[in-house]
Amino acid sequence: MGEADAPETVVVIDDDYAMRLSCCKILSKMGVRVEAFEDGTRGLAGIGRLKPGLIVVDLKMPGISGIEVTSRVHEIDPQITIVVITGYATIDTAVEAMKCGAYDFLPKPFSPDELRLIVNRGLERRRLSLESQRCEIERAMLKRRFVTFVSHQLRTPLVAIHQYLDVLKHLGDTGEVAAKREEWLDRCLKRTEELQSLIADWLTLARVEGGALMKERIKVDLRQLLPGILKTYEEMAAGEGVSLHAALSEEPLCVGGDWNCLTVLFDNLITNGIKYNRPGGTVTVSGCLSGGEVVVTVADTGIGVPDKYRPFLFDEFFRIKDDGAKKTTGTGLGLHIAKRIVSEMSGSLDFESQPGAGSTFRVRLPAWHEADSAKPGSSE
Amino acid sequence: MTPAAKRILIVDDDRDFVEAIASFLEASGFTVRKAHTGSDAVKLARMERPDLILMDIMMGERTEGFFTIREMRRQEDLKGVPIFVLSALGTQMPDFGNPPEWAGLAHDEFLSKPVDMVQLVEKIRQRIGQPT
Ligand SMILES: Nc1ncnc2c1ncn2[C@@H]1O[C@H](COP(=O)(O)OP(=O)(O)O)[C@@H](O)[C@H]1O
Ligand SMILES: [Mg+2]
Repeated sequence: MGEADAPETVVVIDDDYAMRLSCCKILSKMGVRVEAFEDGTRGLAGIGRLKPGLIVVDLKMPGISGIEVTSRVHEIDPQITIVVITGYATIDTAVEAMKCGAYDFLPKPFSPDELRLIVNRGLERRRLSLESQRCEIERAMLKRRFVTFVSHQLRTPLVAIHQYLDVLKHLGDTGEVAAKREEWLDRCLKRTEELQSLIADWLTLARVEGGALMKERIKVDLRQLLPGILKTYEEMAAGEGVSLHAALSEEPLCVGGDWNCLTVLFDNLITNGIKYNRPGGTVTVSGCLSGGEVVVTVADTGIGVPDKYRPFLFDEFFRIKDDGAKKTTGTGLGLHIAKRIVSEMSGSLDFESQPGAGSTFRVRLPAWHEADSAKPGSSE
Repeated sequence: MTPAAKRILIVDDDRDFVEAIASFLEASGFTVRKAHTGSDAVKLARMERPDLILMDIMMGERTEGFFTIREMRRQEDLKGVPIFVLSALGTQMPDFGNPPEWAGLAHDEFLSKPVDMVQLVEKIRQRIGQPT
């Protein structure tokens, strides 16, 4: 745990001397720093001073009880993970302690392995929650700086284009630069494309948010829509060494929506499947009817999404930029837009992912009812 | 014997920007080294001690340049190396009008993007001179 930085501190509070001794022995072997205290008062003072990541506290002690320690610790720092030790007779109290915020309990007698396991899990949980808290803060900052961020994103490609053209203008005839001319002009074109897609994404987003795209609801058979979209991306997929597959049911997959909107939705999911994949990988689009819903999944065999980023994936502008993450271009708006479109259609969009193995995005949309066609404005 | 060309380290996460500026500087007689992240920049700077550093601020959606400059200023072996900030962040940016970060930023020169390259070369020459 926490090998990268200072070792985690664990505090043990138990009135039983032998128990303190053996806990300390087991835990220090795990490489954590341990301090033990014989009662709640001393324990709480120690916690204030040591700022531990996790505490192990006996429920039944003379003086301040383990329950009270639990609630007071969380007043000091709600992020501290608490494990309570109970006798068999006090399971009810353990449940109460969990209600007070304890993370888990350990009935006596327990083996060294059981203690190790529970402490490891507790420290891991704390690490994850600290990390997601950090991500949360970063997201909040990003939101605050929205305008700055948007203008930066627009400016970056513009500046690059400007700079290339400027050098070409100044040094266009010198040998070195003339040789690069073609390549640079290609780059300029690429960067204008980047600008175009950024603006297109924003406009789509603004239109979806305004509800404009969904006004026109017509019957759309996804069995007709999806193969066309897959075809559009065959070239892009081939470029990445990825193959595209369709597994659509025999029966029609009709939903009530807007053709363009649905295209944007699946465009985004399919291009992600291609972009965040690896050479030799696949993207499989499946569709079927299930319980009054049309369910379409887009499954890839790509890099996957690390757990800690799960909560942010559908946020606007969110992109994973880990050291290990693939260098791809994108606006970070695709999934946000996809989610908006699906919820406008009273459907849902979620995903499962295995880092390193692939992700599956699942769209559920209410199936088209013939009764819907009686509504004005709808057509075949 | 002619003295060696002055060495400039350019730090920016946009490869196109780096490529364009680097070509112009090379054509003006400088030797150019490139880095695309703050940490690479610090490593490279400590290894080669350039004569001058050109630094972008917003890298990877963050104000990584600020932290990179601070880190460089902490390094004994980089004492006295001038750092020019090249950034599109100007006063028209609501959140960056007067960010607290600017205060701790011991940069030597600020040039806004897109960079006027003739002016850039002039400023570099004024600062570190150039062998003819
Ligand atoms: N199929 C996928 N596999 C792995 N990561 C994905 C996948 N789809 C999306 N992501 C992650 O979510 C981020 C946001 O996706 P999206 O909103 O489509 O924006 P963009 O593709 O423009 O970056 C991506 O940058 C990527 O890090
Ligand atoms: Mg995308």
